[in-house]
Amino acid sequence: MNSLMIAFITGVTTGGLSCLAVQGGLLTTALAPQVSQSDAPSHKGGKRREVATQPVPTSPGALPILLFLAAKLIAYTLLGLLLGALGSMLQLTPFTRALLLIAIGIFMVGNGLRMLNVHPIFRHFVFEPPAAVTRYLRRKAKAGSDAVTPLLLGALTVLIPCGVTQAMMALAMGTGNELQAAGLMASFTLGSSVVFFAVVYLATRMGALLEKNFARAVAIVLLILGLVSVDSGLNLMGSPVSFARLTRSASAPGGTPSAEAVTSTAGENEVRITVLNNGYTPVSISARPDIPTRLTFVTNNVRSCSLALVIPELRVEKLLPPTGEYTVEVPPQPAGKVLRYSCSMGMYSGQIVFDQ
Amino acid sequence: MKQVFDVPDMHCPACVMRLEGIEDDLPGIQHIAASYRKQRLEVEYDEAQVSEAQIVAAAEALGYPLHKK
Repeated sequence: MNSLMIAFITGVTTGGLSCLAVQGGLLTTALAPQVSQSDAPSHKGGKRREVATQPVPTSPGALPILLFLAAKLIAYTLLGLLLGALGSMLQLTPFTRALLLIAIGIFMVGNGLRMLNVHPIFRHFVFEPPAAVTRYLRRKAKAGSDAVTPLLLGALTVLIPCGVTQAMMALAMGTGNELQAAGLMASFTLGSSVVFFAVVYLATRMGALLEKNFARAVAIVLLILGLVSVDSGLNLMGSPVSFARLTRSASAPGGTPSAEAVTSTAGENEVRITVLNNGYTPVSISARPDIPTRLTFVTNNVRSCSLALVIPELRVEKLLPPTGEYTVEVPPQPAGKVLRYSCSMGMYSGQIVFDQ
Repeated sequence: MKQVFDVPDMHCPACVMRLEGIEDDLPGIQHIAASYRKQRLEVEYDEAQVSEAQIVAAAEALGYPLHKK
C-alpha cells in the first residue's frame, strides 16, 4: 500500500511534469485539428517555447484529454504487468533484487544529475526512442482528428516514456510480481495524469513555468529517490555500509544495540522482534555468541512491506502473516558477528549483534 | 545540401521530437535527425525549396537557437 502511495505522489510531483515535457506536445497536436474544425478560440501568440504552453482549445472539451489519459493508464498498467512478470520470470533472489535496486538507484541519480546539467555524460542515462517511433507518433498526432486518435496516442506513449517513468518501470520490474508492478505503474500514471489533465485542460502557462522553475526540484527528488533505492539495495544485501545502518550506529555510539536478548535456560538466545508497519523494533538487539538463537518475529495487524522478511545470510525469505509469529532457528554465531535482516525491498532493516 | 548544427538548448529527449517536426512545417527537408546526447541537429535539404535561414528561424521559433558547426 505504501509503495503505491509513493508511486502516486511521484507521479503527481515529478512524473507529471516530466511526462508533460515528453508527451504533452503529442496531445496538444492531437487536439489541434479539432480546434480548427470547431471555430477555435483565439490562438494566443502562435508557437511558443514550451510544449505545455501551446494553445489548447477548450472547445473539444475534456473528452479527448480523458481518452488520451485513460488509454495511457491502461497501457502503462499492462506494461507494469508485463514488467512484473518479467521480473518474476527472472526468479529474482534477494541478492539480484538488491543489485537491481542499486542499478535503478544509480539510473535515477544519473537522471537527476542529467536534469541538473552536471555533465554531458549523464545524457546517457536516458533512452532515446528510435527516430522511426517518434516520427510515426508525430505524424499520427498531426493527421488524426477523431476520438480514436487521442486513444491511440495515449496508448502509444508507452513508446516514449520520460526519464522518471523509465525509473518507475525499472522499479516495477524490481518487484518481481505482476500485480504489484501493475499497481505501481497504475498509481504512478494516475498521479501524473492529474498534473497532465490540469495543465493541458486549463491551457495555462503553468506547465512551462513549473518546468522551468522546478526542473531542479524534480532533479533533486530523483536524486533522493535514487539514493533511497541504492540504500534499499545495500540493506537488502545485508551490507554494513547502508545509509540507514550508518545513521543507526551514529545515533547509538559505538553501535551499541538498543536492547538485549533474553537468554533462556536451555542455553539458547531467545530474541523477539516486533514487526511494525514502519519497521522492526528493537532495530538492533544484542545476543550471546556461540549458542543457538530462537529468533521470533511478532506481527499484530501489520499491513506493510515489513511483512516480507529477508535474512540474506540465512537464505530466509518469508512473507509473515499480518498477525502472528514466525520463528527462525539461528545456528550458533561467532562473537562479533552481526546478523542483518530487512524487508524484501530493503526499506526497513534491523540487526542482531552477537557480542554479549 | 547537408548542414550540421549544435543545439545547446535541448534539455530532454522530447526536444528531439519537436525539432524533427520541422520537416512537417518546411518544404524541401530531405532528412532531419536530432540527437539529445550530442546536442546536435543534422539536416539535409533542397536549397531550391528552403533556405538555411528558414530552418534556423523554424528551430528558433520552437525555442532552440542553432549554432552552425
